Amino acid sequence: MLSALPGVLFDGVAYGSLLFLISIGLSVTLGLMNFINLAHGAFAMVGGYACVVATLRYGLPFGVALVVAFAVAAIAGGVLERVLYRRLYGRSPLDQVLFTIGLTFMSIAAATWVFGSGQQPVRLPDTLLGQTRILGVDVGIYRLFLIAIVFALASGLALLVTRTRFGARIRASVDDARTAAGLGIDVERVFSVTFTLGSGLAGLGGALGIDVLGLDPTFPLKYMVYFLLVVVVGGAGTIVGTLCAAMVLGIFDVAGKYYVPWAGAFVIYALMVALLLLFPRGLLRRIR
Amino acid sequence: MADLLEVQGVVAGYGESVVLEDVSFTLREGGSLALLGRNGVGKTTLLLTLMGMTRLHKGTLAWRGEPLAAVPPHHRARLGFGWVPQERGVFPSLTVDEHLEAIARPGEWTAARVYQLFPRLVERRGHFGNQLSGGEQQMLAIARALMVNPTLLLLDEPTEGLAPVVIDELVVTIRKMLASGRMAAILVEQHARLALQLTEETLVLDRGRVVHRSPSRSLLEDPGTLDRLLGVA
Repeated sequence: MLSALPGVLFDGVAYGSLLFLISIGLSVTLGLMNFINLAHGAFAMVGGYACVVATLRYGLPFGVALVVAFAVAAIAGGVLERVLYRRLYGRSPLDQVLFTIGLTFMSIAAATWVFGSGQQPVRLPDTLLGQTRILGVDVGIYRLFLIAIVFALASGLALLVTRTRFGARIRASVDDARTAAGLGIDVERVFSVTFTLGSGLAGLGGALGIDVLGLDPTFPLKYMVYFLLVVVVGGAGTIVGTLCAAMVLGIFDVAGKYYVPWAGAFVIYALMVALLLLFPRGLLRRIR
Repeated sequence: MADLLEVQGVVAGYGESVVLEDVSFTLREGGSLALLGRNGVGKTTLLLTLMGMTRLHKGTLAWRGEPLAAVPPHHRARLGFGWVPQERGVFPSLTVDEHLEAIARPGEWTAARVYQLFPRLVERRGHFGNQLSGGEQQMLAIARALMVNPTLLLLDEPTEGLAPVVIDELVVTIRKMLASGRMAAILVEQHARLALQLTEETLVLDRGRVVHRSPSRSLLEDPGTLDRLLGVA
């Protein structure tokens, strides 16, 4: 029983890394503009399909396909922000929820029409296949790769937000959009850029996650609850909080399904209730 | 030459509601104006209207002769509006240094010069906005507005909630800032006498209208009128 613990922890961290990568954009969007984007998972799905098309149809290497996945999802996010999302800022949460859930269903229908309803295969490079032993624990090389990429990206993001002028402008806009605008910060542009970046990261997460989360047209709906949980538990607009929440939820979800399979997915809902009772405003409230 | 700021028959408020009924005034380059009146007569609303953050129902605003109504707030800051919001609007997740750097625009005011003006902020450079005392937050709000290198400083109740000794320190600094005469200022203030001492001209608002306009000095020397207008001696 306990002997499986290190492996379960490792898988949980890998799973949590993916949740972080996909959710971070949602967290910043919600923290920055109070915009509720239920269609966020659709950008992850777009990245996933972009990766599949790039590797299987065009024979591009996996690494290049990941870049393509990021770019396609970022462009999709940037364009939709300009054309559609922009009109919904400052509208009631109900309008935002209805609009983005509608967008989610449209993305599901579109993906089904183009790619069919089946699970998509992913061809990982040989170097990422197989297992390796670290400290006496057998771990999947791909999951190790996943964790490494996500931690590198999380560090990069943290540096961007805490050390650069643009990061300071993001934080100022999250803290108080009106004052930030009154001091010359183009809050709408800050938002466009972060939305585009967040969509790109979700796309990258969707591509990296095909092997772990799977990829079919229901993806945006199937994982919506997980992304929202991460954001709510972590606290909107915080990188460290989102990372902590993603890790906690990832580990407990994997461990729950391994140790108490009869409780199924209920474990993380119980965990969420407990965490929200303890930290009603999120693990960490502000962007750091 | 056109005035720095010309406000003509402005009717403004929030949504459908109207707070400013009819406000007109002009401000010359480098001039200073005190905006007085009882609570809730529209002083802050007037400053917010200048910043483009209310709904302008009627009237015109002009900046150096150019119409201002359609200019979004962040562009007004770039035109030269230095806004010190009521209750300071300090950012809790930015350090003092970041407050200055994030919005800095090129000009004579640099972080080094601003720190010279507010030496108390130097020792606090690495602290976050919510780790400062009320007085320090107010200094930071003013320091931050200076980093925009404003042509017009809008001060919304800078002494609100501060201890008398901190107010004295702040007043000395504000006087120093305005003394150069290169920067115009509009000062909203509950301490009427203080505002009168700091400015050239005074505008008194009541229920969204201008009810008095005169040089600050003459109002300062006429306690009867001041008392009638504001209910303070």
